[in-house]
Amino acid sequence: MSDERTKLERAIARALRDDRISRRSFLRKAGRGGIYAGGALSLPAILAACGIGSSSSPSAGAMASPVGGGEPSGTLIFANWELYIDPDENDNPQNSPTLVAFKDETGIETTYTENILDNQSFFAEIQPDLAAGNPPGYDIIVMTDWMIGNMIRLGYLESFDVARDVPNFVANAADKYKNPSYDANNLHSVPWQSGITGIGYNPALVSEEITSMAQLLDPAMAEKYTGQIGMFTEMRDSMSFALLHNGVVPKDATEADVEAARDVLLAQKPHVRGYFGNDYVNGLSDGTLAMTMAWSGDVFQLQFDNPDLKFVVPEEGAMLWVDNMAIPKGAAHPNDALAMMDHVYKPEAAAQLAEWVNYICPVPAAQDIIRQHADEAESQEDKDYLAAVAESPLVFPTEEMLSRLHSYKVLDEAEERVWNEMFQEVVQG
Amino acid sequence: MSGWLRRHRAVVPYLFLVPGGLWLTVFFLVPVLTMASVSLQEGTLGSGYRLTFNFGAFPEAITRWDGQLIRSLQYGLVVTLLTLLIGYPMAYTIAFRGGRYKSILLLLVIMPFFTSFIIRTISWKFILADQGVVLGTLKDLGWVDAGFRILATPAAVIAGITYNFLPFVVLPLYVALEKIDHRLIEAATDLYASRVQAFLRVTLPLSLPGVFAATLLAFIPAVGDYINAELLGSPGETMIGNVIQRLYLVNNDYPQASALSLILMIGILLSVFAYTRLLRGQELTG
Repeated sequence: MSDERTKLERAIARALRDDRISRRSFLRKAGRGGIYAGGALSLPAILAACGIGSSSSPSAGAMASPVGGGEPSGTLIFANWELYIDPDENDNPQNSPTLVAFKDETGIETTYTENILDNQSFFAEIQPDLAAGNPPGYDIIVMTDWMIGNMIRLGYLESFDVARDVPNFVANAADKYKNPSYDANNLHSVPWQSGITGIGYNPALVSEEITSMAQLLDPAMAEKYTGQIGMFTEMRDSMSFALLHNGVVPKDATEADVEAARDVLLAQKPHVRGYFGNDYVNGLSDGTLAMTMAWSGDVFQLQFDNPDLKFVVPEEGAMLWVDNMAIPKGAAHPNDALAMMDHVYKPEAAAQLAEWVNYICPVPAAQDIIRQHADEAESQEDKDYLAAVAESPLVFPTEEMLSRLHSYKVLDEAEERVWNEMFQEVVQG
Repeated sequence: MSGWLRRHRAVVPYLFLVPGGLWLTVFFLVPVLTMASVSLQEGTLGSGYRLTFNFGAFPEAITRWDGQLIRSLQYGLVVTLLTLLIGYPMAYTIAFRGGRYKSILLLLVIMPFFTSFIIRTISWKFILADQGVVLGTLKDLGWVDAGFRILATPAAVIAGITYNFLPFVVLPLYVALEKIDHRLIEAATDLYASRVQAFLRVTLPLSLPGVFAATLLAFIPAVGDYINAELLGSPGETMIGNVIQRLYLVNNDYPQASALSLILMIGILLSVFAYTRLLRGQELTG
């Protein structure tokens, strides 16, 4: 009964969110499903909608002098997504072992908030302060790569010297995460966790092996799964899939490419069951969906219940999303923020996070540490679980897999408007 | 203080209006005016919006989303009709035949409210899932086609809204029917009216104020409903509420979203106005 109940709670939470909300999903660890009644219309976004005044953005932030190089103050205010850090035994993220270890080593006390529901609404919440040049109230925020690119363009992020202030990143991060297209030389951000948007499918309902985007998007091939195909309501993910299908590298897409991508999605639409947020997970596990766009961490966790489920990076490629830590302009404790960034790039700390979060760990050296933890684990259950984390290509992807992953295009406002309107024609037209 | 009140007795009734008036000013008037202002602004979220008195968002919103506007009105009308067809006999039976079980029956009508309506709607999703309790069984028995589904169809969305708003229809109908003086119906039958005639000539006209209230309570929220189409529907069932939600919170296109919200408000007001006139023509005292 209680299992049924948490299942329902998780389903509700998912149904109410469009974005990749439960970063760590609710799947494996029962009892942490929160109910977000009314969360569908997030208050901050509505409030922001009421008071949209300020129009002057500060002049290019890249020109301002970098932060860092000083002594930490002992205080850090950290805004993150829900279920995105290892909680203590009472499921309290405030006392996360990661934060406790950070305090033991640096003496810095972290105020950890799970205030970020999705990129847009959190941006809408802090934008007025940033535009007016007021301190934003957070020292670290975690935003997805394209939003980081956006905020850099608007001059809303502090820059820092990653070689001087985050040496562990330079030493331990996978090459894929260094000098990304959305933030040259990691001048403003370093990854927190990342993941893949690929194709998930249920072999019980799909007789063939899925290897190509065409099997999902080409109407002739998708036809036999009519009504069992899931797509994402996240504009960037779905549009980028169609772009890849057309052989276009998403970050180089032109307006004509986007039009062609929209046409692909419109042609596929008669066969699509729905455009989902988090709740695609329900469809994939209960057999409503045979094949769907999927996030790697979700499928990793679903596989504990149904080991047959598959996650593939199609031959045309798939999307790598990276959630990054960044320091908003005017933050009160930048040195403490940099200390935190450096801390989570220690392999031991990265392993601690990866064991709980199950998305892609940016620190390859953490793999051996998790293997070691698996060997040392006392119960067989923990042993199996940790071994699964350490050996999963969804947590530690192979080089070959990583080489086929693409980044999102950083859109300026005019482009974003065009992309949004074209995509809305698909999902609501 | 009491002396002051005594001297200004005429003010007292207005004082009673103050709490409600303040409430409505803060939570209705200010938002509506803000929305009206935003609908005339231009700009983007990143660079801010400026009031330019650009009315372009209105024609744009209507031409882009006419299909969804019409669909919402259609669903609203179908839902209103269905709730009346289901709710009237229900209210009638409780009011006239409920006897000592009246309050229990009424409690049963309100019972669904003990659970959040979002949770109830999501439960529908489980119950009607393609491989769920109902359809899975029917499919195993071979009674329906393997590809048959209820979710993601207009029927699912309309049924969901009907289910969610049924109690709002039953309660005002019950109140109207409850207070009908039974002696009037007896008088009608004494004067050789058949039971059908008595119902059509006495009971039904006397219950019209209840029908009026019930219609409004079903139609207005049904047209603007967003949860049912979101949870039970697919892109083919998108209603105007879903479009507005996406325009506001995903696209951050505040001007068009505000314009569309105002258009919806005006559309509903006009429908309600026309309906009131229509019923008044029926010599209704509401």
